[in-house]
Amino acid sequence: MKIGGSGPGTAQQTGEIACLEPRTAMPLLRRQWQKLLEFLFPPETSTWLAVFRIGMGLQIIVYALFLGRDWHSLFSTTGKGLVSRELGEAIASFDSPVIPKLGWLVVFGQRIGFGEETVLSIAWACLLCIGFCLLLGLFCRPAAIVAWFLHLCAAESGGLLAYGADNLMTMALFYLMLSPLPDPYSLDYRLVKIRAKDPQLLGFWRRVLQVHLCFVYFFGGLAKLLGSGWWNGSNLWRALIRPPFNLLSPDILVRFKYALPVLGISICLIEIGYPIFIWIKKTRFLWLVCILGMHAAIGLAMGMYLFALVMIVLNLAAFGVGIRVAFVGHPATTTRHPH
Amino acid sequence: MISKRVYVAWFGIHFFLIAAVCFAGLFSLVAEHATILPSALDTFARKAELAAAWPLGKHAGGTNPLRRSIATYLHAAGIQSGYTFFAPNIPGYHKLIFELNYPDGRIEYESPHFKGKAAALRLDSLLTRLGDNRYEPLREVVLKMLALSIWRERPDVKKIRATFGSVSPPSITDFEHGKGESFQPMFSYDFSLRDENRR
Repeated sequence: MKIGGSGPGTAQQTGEIACLEPRTAMPLLRRQWQKLLEFLFPPETSTWLAVFRIGMGLQIIVYALFLGRDWHSLFSTTGKGLVSRELGEAIASFDSPVIPKLGWLVVFGQRIGFGEETVLSIAWACLLCIGFCLLLGLFCRPAAIVAWFLHLCAAESGGLLAYGADNLMTMALFYLMLSPLPDPYSLDYRLVKIRAKDPQLLGFWRRVLQVHLCFVYFFGGLAKLLGSGWWNGSNLWRALIRPPFNLLSPDILVRFKYALPVLGISICLIEIGYPIFIWIKKTRFLWLVCILGMHAAIGLAMGMYLFALVMIVLNLAAFGVGIRVAFVGHPATTTRHPH
Repeated sequence: MISKRVYVAWFGIHFFLIAAVCFAGLFSLVAEHATILPSALDTFARKAELAAAWPLGKHAGGTNPLRRSIATYLHAAGIQSGYTFFAPNIPGYHKLIFELNYPDGRIEYESPHFKGKAAALRLDSLLTRLGDNRYEPLREVVLKMLALSIWRERPDVKKIRATFGSVSPPSITDFEHGKGESFQPMFSYDFSLRDENRR
């Protein structure tokens, strides 16, 4: 590996890195390490965490209410549910037997005299209550842990009935439970005066969320670009006319047939460009608006409300809080801002 | 506070695993020739998929503790699958039709359903999986369960024929010419309460 350059702390001549003396190589490594730490642990306010907590509280409430009528059909055992919960749990156990499942709660409930239906109803009610706790900021940390656990149990027991929104919700709740809760906007903070143990980690967990979203969009965009249907608009057409996503009439879509290829390519570019343009100050607002618009459209036009909501919450928490609109003047602030 | 080094190490491992899952999923699509890339890359993509899945412990036996630990962490963090939603292409969808035969010779048709729209999305996810060859061993079991749910609602049904197939929606041009979607049956099963036999 050739290294060139001049100035203090760098090698004067090109040569193998192994030949560099420790006194020149070490400051270089130290600087890189320092840069990494500065990137991973930026100073950060807790507003993003409040948005994240409130958003995920809302998400859990919507999740519980939307699945309320079908909760027992989804998660009952053989002979009661549409597809047996045991099948989903067997598939999950094939990966690992210690992945949490609703079956664990059912077994525990049976030991203390509760039937399966009662346990499932309690689990659903708990999920709904936990959603309100997160929304209000009451018992933030325990609520986030219980929400993650119950949702993970439901997602794993759902097995074959699970879809992308479940993984994204699990991921979001996993990060929320590890973040330094409570935030100053929560009731825990205001009424009970509980303080976060490690507020200096606020920046770290926001970075984790930001980097994760970059992975989500980069790989999503790349995979779409590899499909011919996203270049000619046929994928958008197919996505919008197939049940159960067919909320728009095909007759209306046909009127916009020339816009479909442009929209298809735009979606790919917005997604694959996300890891670059969301970090650039001048393009961040535009990219965020585009991505939020895309998710809002997915929610409204395809009925994927849970998926749309979790993605909007993740984006707002990761990049939306504290965003500055490029080319618009802002009053000078005394606090240091991460972006 | 735990040392920053611990957080940095966790960050590195966590995103390394996410990258491995995502690359494995992406190479899998290429290997299945589902993309616009030339088929000459299929073999390379299959090898690359295996290489990407190696850090996930997929090469180890199903009971290997390391593999299980990694799988548990991936599931717990919600990162066990990649992000290739609606990609690379959106295929047709699948349909399951139950033909309900009553003792008096009457025949009715029914599809599995949930009450809410959110759960209906999950049913679509289930049918997509049933159409996938990787889930072939589960098909009969799942269809039997779905047939059983019909029986619970209509106990007087004598026999149920479950027909599963793929639906090809019309292209925009076809739609403009008045063509509708076409249903292509893939397999069917006959079920009765006393004995089930595969057709």
